[in-house]
Amino acid sequence: MNIALPGAPPADPSSLPDPTTQRVVFDGAEGDFVTLSIRGALLQLVTFGFYRFWLTTDVRRHLWTHTSAAGDHLEYTGRGRELLVGFLFALAILVPIYLAYFLIGVEVERFQAFGSVPLGIFMLFFGQFAIYRARRYRLTRTVWRGVRFWMQGSGWAYAARAFGWQILVVLSLGLAWPWRAAALERYKLRNTFYGDLAGSFDARASAFFRTGVWLWLAALAPVLILISAGAIYWATDETRPVLAGTIAAIGGVLFLPVPFLWPYFRAMEWRWWATGVRFGSLSVECDLRGGQLLKLYFKFFIIASLVSGAAAGAVFAIGAAVVEQLTKGGSGSMLESMSSAFESNQVLLVAGTTLGYLIVGLSVGVVQRYFLQREMWCIVARSLTIRHIDAAENVVARGEAANAIGEGLADSLDVAGF
Amino acid sequence: MTDILETDAAFFDGLTNRKRSVRVKLGASLDIFDGERRIDSWTLDSIRLVDAKSSGMRLRANGASELARLIVDDPAFIDAIYRNCPQLLVEEHSHKSSTARIVGWSLAAAASVLGVIFFGLPLAADRLAPLVPAALDRRVGEMVDSQVKVVFGDKLCTEPDGKAAFLKLVRALERSGGLDQSPSADVLQSKTANAIALPGGRVYLFEGLLDVAQTPDEIAGVLGHELGHVHHRDGMRMLIESGGSSFLFGLLFGDVTGSGAAMLAARLMLNARYTREAETRADEFAIGVMHGLGRLSQPMGELLVRVTGNQRGQSPGILASHPFSEDRLARMKAADKAATALPILDDAEWKALKAICKPAG
Repeated sequence: MNIALPGAPPADPSSLPDPTTQRVVFDGAEGDFVTLSIRGALLQLVTFGFYRFWLTTDVRRHLWTHTSAAGDHLEYTGRGRELLVGFLFALAILVPIYLAYFLIGVEVERFQAFGSVPLGIFMLFFGQFAIYRARRYRLTRTVWRGVRFWMQGSGWAYAARAFGWQILVVLSLGLAWPWRAAALERYKLRNTFYGDLAGSFDARASAFFRTGVWLWLAALAPVLILISAGAIYWATDETRPVLAGTIAAIGGVLFLPVPFLWPYFRAMEWRWWATGVRFGSLSVECDLRGGQLLKLYFKFFIIASLVSGAAAGAVFAIGAAVVEQLTKGGSGSMLESMSSAFESNQVLLVAGTTLGYLIVGLSVGVVQRYFLQREMWCIVARSLTIRHIDAAENVVARGEAANAIGEGLADSLDVAGF
Repeated sequence: MTDILETDAAFFDGLTNRKRSVRVKLGASLDIFDGERRIDSWTLDSIRLVDAKSSGMRLRANGASELARLIVDDPAFIDAIYRNCPQLLVEEHSHKSSTARIVGWSLAAAASVLGVIFFGLPLAADRLAPLVPAALDRRVGEMVDSQVKVVFGDKLCTEPDGKAAFLKLVRALERSGGLDQSPSADVLQSKTANAIALPGGRVYLFEGLLDVAQTPDEIAGVLGHELGHVHHRDGMRMLIESGGSSFLFGLLFGDVTGSGAAMLAARLMLNARYTREAETRADEFAIGVMHGLGRLSQPMGELLVRVTGNQRGQSPGILASHPFSEDRLARMKAADKAATALPILDDAEWKALKAICKPAG
């Protein structure tokens, strides 16, 4: 893929009249990414998954280094070894927690019915802590023009905010989401720095609410209609099945487009987020459209289905061939000889199934990295315009590289955040 | 090289983000000039390539400021850099050789974890299970018990005559086996033809097995087998093993795709292998108990063959993890000599036991 901005000298006056307004450019070659992604999947297979730390690093190096603003490319200075160390530290923290929890659970067995609740709550809380610390790691490994980004603030303070707001979001059936997002972004960005240039977040939750509430209503209305159909059917004295059925049908039809609202919501959130980002007088705009994300998800879904189907078919065919070799001369149908071969060799069955599952999973992983990481990054990056980029000049380097324990925790707890 | 090559470049000194237009000269070292003033000088073997981007070349140097970067666009100059900086790609190359190291260490780590799972854990479970206090054992048993009742229903059979016969049978087996604690035994109203032993000394006989049994010896043998599990504390042993292995597998695979399936498969394999050993030992215990009562163990084997024989080719149940019934029967036959005592239950008691789940009348 060739992008028309080779080397991009600061501001091409013909395309943009104001040199302090710059579009973010992504110029990574698709082939390079696919190669590193497939190679990473194969290495994951032979390393029992341990290669994921280096694969993550390779992916980030590719994405960062091909993203530029005002002609200067980002650089990712993190390394796989750091992620491995972070993971090991995270284990040292989490293993005693799990063990202690197990012992407490056995000891206080009368609370057993609610046994997993406190751990679940703690892990949700801890997951937010991990997200914050992981962000700090990534940020301090992000370098532009020879100066790194960095971050202060407390992971615990962030976790407390995220957790409290999440409760309000649940209680309000999602209506509090804009305020949660605004509060968390304010905390993150006022603790974010580029050199000695401090970030801040200026977007208002009410603006997000005003545009987002229509999507919320569109998603909720079919649910309400279905509930009221049920209420009419069961709760009224004289049952009115025709009326209830009609209302239920209307609700059902209205519900069909609801999953397709998600990309439009995401795009709206991105646009809103971008308007709030400040570094001094530098500001950002985003013209991401929901249709772009919808197309992306659609492509991902189709390709992932095809690839996983093909991989599963190939694995099954190889398995069948192996079985045929093993049961040569035997009579009976393919399925019979297959099951008899596996009966006599359970280890083979277990190993074969596991390997097949891993191959299908890793193939889908390649597709997922391509669409949901690279393409997503590419679409979002190219949707961004930076205004007053001159505010980010003569910035003095500050901040130290942070450790990767947060990344390790996030990896172990299976949480991800931006 | 003799001639000095020079070109225009961009330089970030890593202290501020000011982009300086500089003149770079490549000779015995790489010198960076801002106008007339030399602002930095990099030795050729300290120069490293930073992640390749789509156009131009980004360089850093060991010993210079950590984030100082030189951006060069001139193809001839880039070419000269490639030719004259011996360590330029050392990190890319070590990246490649370190991949081999990563693979090696990963395999070693995986081998070590698998070793712990397949050899260390069974050993630890053997040593730890007898050390677990009886009180803890009972509590765990209560936890498992509630799950069993969810799966099989919680209808206990309590027909008084049948219950008396059942308890007589259990107490006789208990005395013969020399158990240090009295297990609580019950008949569960379930059509499954099976019997189970839980941690904490709790034994359930399922009505389904009573229905297919023809003599008291058959049931006595099966109960003897379950008491063997209780005596060996197999429930706690299994808990330690499967809990430990799923924990370690979780640690090993982290979030890699498909780890769930791999974990499940490995645990199935592990548990099947494990139970087989435990089952054989419980069978030996049952044989000993029956002989202690002057009775034979062969009827139990015959009951097993009767039960599994009907199930062959169908979905494997709990009994599938046991050794083949034919082999078990053969072993019991070989161990038996001759009965020296009367049956543990008389005809009336056996009839009452068979009807324990059927209301009188």
